[in-house]
Amino acid sequence: MAANQINDEEKLFSGILRLNAKVFGLVLGIVLGLLVFVATNWLLLKGGHRTPDGRYVVGPHLQLLSQFFIGYRVSFWGSIIGFFYGFALGTLSGSAIGWIYNKIVDWRK
Amino acid sequence: MNNANCDPHGRRVIIVGGGPAGLTAGYRLAQMGLPSVILEKDQIVGGISRTVSYKGFHFDIGGHRFFTKIKAVDDMWKEVLNDDFLRRKRLSRIYYRRKFFYYPLRPFNAFAGLGLWESTMILASYLYARLFPHRQEETFEQWVSNRFGRRLFQTFFKTYSEKVWGMSCSEIRAEWAAQRIKGLSLLSALRNALAGQNGANKKRVIKTLIDEFDYPRLGPGMMWREVAARIEQSGSRVLLGAEVEGIMRAENGVEAVTISRNGEREVLHGSDFISSMPLKELLLKFEPPVPDQVKTAAHNLKYRDFLTVAVIVDKSRLFPDNWIYIHDPAVRVGRIQNFKNWSPFMVPDQSKTCLGLEYFCFEGDDLWRQPDRQLIQMAAEELEMLQLAERSSVEDGHVVRMPKAYPVYDSEYNDSLRIIEDFLRGIPNLQVVGRNGMHKYNNQDHSMLTAMLAAENVVGAAHDLWRVNEEQHYHEEVTIAPEQQRLLKEKLRAAFARMDSFAFATATGLVCSMLLLLATLFVLLRQDSPLVPYMGLLGQYFIGYSVTPGGALLGAVSCFTWVFLLSWLFAYLRNFMIGFFIYRIKRKMELLTFKDFLDHF
Ligand SMILES: Cc1cc2nc3c(=O)[nH]c(=O)nc-3n(C[C@H](O)[C@H](O)[C@H](O)COP(=O)(O)OP(=O)(O)OC[C@H]3O[C@@H](n4cnc5c(N)ncnc54)[C@H](O)[C@@H]3O)c2cc1C
Repeated sequence: MAANQINDEEKLFSGILRLNAKVFGLVLGIVLGLLVFVATNWLLLKGGHRTPDGRYVVGPHLQLLSQFFIGYRVSFWGSIIGFFYGFALGTLSGSAIGWIYNKIVDWRK
Repeated sequence: MNNANCDPHGRRVIIVGGGPAGLTAGYRLAQMGLPSVILEKDQIVGGISRTVSYKGFHFDIGGHRFFTKIKAVDDMWKEVLNDDFLRRKRLSRIYYRRKFFYYPLRPFNAFAGLGLWESTMILASYLYARLFPHRQEETFEQWVSNRFGRRLFQTFFKTYSEKVWGMSCSEIRAEWAAQRIKGLSLLSALRNALAGQNGANKKRVIKTLIDEFDYPRLGPGMMWREVAARIEQSGSRVLLGAEVEGIMRAENGVEAVTISRNGEREVLHGSDFISSMPLKELLLKFEPPVPDQVKTAAHNLKYRDFLTVAVIVDKSRLFPDNWIYIHDPAVRVGRIQNFKNWSPFMVPDQSKTCLGLEYFCFEGDDLWRQPDRQLIQMAAEELEMLQLAERSSVEDGHVVRMPKAYPVYDSEYNDSLRIIEDFLRGIPNLQVVGRNGMHKYNNQDHSMLTAMLAAENVVGAAHDLWRVNEEQHYHEEVTIAPEQQRLLKEKLRAAFARMDSFAFATATGLVCSMLLLLATLFVLLRQDSPLVPYMGLLGQYFIGYSVTPGGALLGAVSCFTWVFLLSWLFAYLRNFMIGFFIYRIKRKMELLTFKDFLDHF
């Protein structure tokens, strides 16, 4: 019995974590999507400022995201579009990390 | 006699031993309609759990608390005695250097009793032990010192343990102490912790089991007398004064036992045999004898014996405890029971008190051989030395010697038990049950459980009694089905598996550097992107980075390096935290299970 117990404990410590690439991707996707969504709406809530030429500008730096996320704007609709872009990027990156991680673990075994 | 007590199919179960295990087997079989014959060598039932009566005073062989987490056992106790159980609050203390300390220890009480200097030294020695533990844990002394510090060990564990085992703590194997807290498997600790069992609820359950217990009005013997009576009512027989002297074995199993009763020898044939007599004696009684290897293994099983000097004191109240552990090395007594505090019905005259002074010894040693009169005199003197009662107030006394009270877990017992187990598996109609019957440090409940399962085996079940989990200790909260247990183990293993830091760092490094590379190339493709000056700022961190094809490549390499380092650190810390979490849970459980360590002797 004691031997079984030691065995259990050894197994517990000797196990190497496998990442579930899909789940990891999904989690990263949701996190990134929410990040863009919240960041955009946060700026909207805070409000923008008027430029010397009289234009009302909200979040000019975040707006630069539209260089990658075509169609993205610092607006409520933009935050939803941004969410989907963020989600897609996060999912792809997360799945890629998971996949590469598992491959390396296999290879090192 | 030979054919009496058979069922219609000619089956007759012979049970050796009228202690809790033997009687439980007989009781269960009777409930299933199978007759049995129980052979008990003494003139009284109950085995170690008997209650002895002397001039109307009742006392146990060491007070026997009734507490269990095994439902079947609890049900049987309730079924048999029901209203005759008293629920008792437990009070026990340690007597050390003329002071009393509550046991289980209470920090403030211990602190007040030990004084500031001693408490500080204990704390310092604890810290020292945590920082510089003995590398090898071979002895009991090293084992406890590593966990609690040397000073605390010397104060609260050393002298008592040495009295119990009759040897120095540096000779007692560490595995014995580990066995005592073996309820703790890391997996079950984690399972309990994660399932919330480690929280208030679990603590409450443990606390209740330690702080309260049930006790039959007239001691445990009341239970076993009643069980024996019910067995006889069912048509089975309980033969007192029937000592099994030989086990007659043929090709396909045991055929009969020879007994001596009232000076006469008899042969009892049976179809099934259940034995709760000490394993060593059982094996040495085989005819023809067991193989030499098994015989050697049997000889390797050792026991610690015990004697109780019950004294009647002409005082209505002496102390409030159920029992007191006597750590003081100046006296030989190890523990003192105050049976009136277990149940007021244990004394016939409330103006008197009945104390049980317990001496741990070896059969045949000087203590064992001392005449009763001298033992009673010594007990009275020691009571006076301990300032618990005056010698002159001790009116009378009675001595009970209990051989083989404790199966010894030494360095040899485990291997020997394996050999014996293998041998006994080859005899299908003989099952061994109980405490000495299996050489296991069982309380009544686990002894009974093995007997219940053995009875079920007689009618066709296939329980493996050797695997009966006596680690299903009362500290352990839940019992779950094996299949669920396997799944749970897998899940826990997955959850607590180590993250491969190198793989994780490489994977995240690769993905991030690729993203940087692609993003830069993308920006470069879109001419006059307003992003260029901002992305260029990344060059502050990623050496060599600029928004150019070459800069993108250099930046990717540098990005990989940064992300690799950070992710490696993340994975390392994650593994460290999980390791720390497991360590904490384990230590917490260890402390919790160790809380009532002394109660197990
Ligand atoms: C000091 C002390 C305190 C304890 N406190 C508690 C407690 O608080 N709670 C608790 O639950 N448990 C307690 N226990 C444990 C409890 O006593 C045992 O678990 C229980 O008695 C074991 O039952 P058993 O039937 O297996 O063995 P035993 O009680 O040893 O019974 C075996 C029987 O077999 C008989 N026998 C032996 N050889 C032969 C033979 N050749 N022929 C015929 N008969 C034979 C013996 O006479 C005996 O009656 C304590 C034990 C000790 C020593």
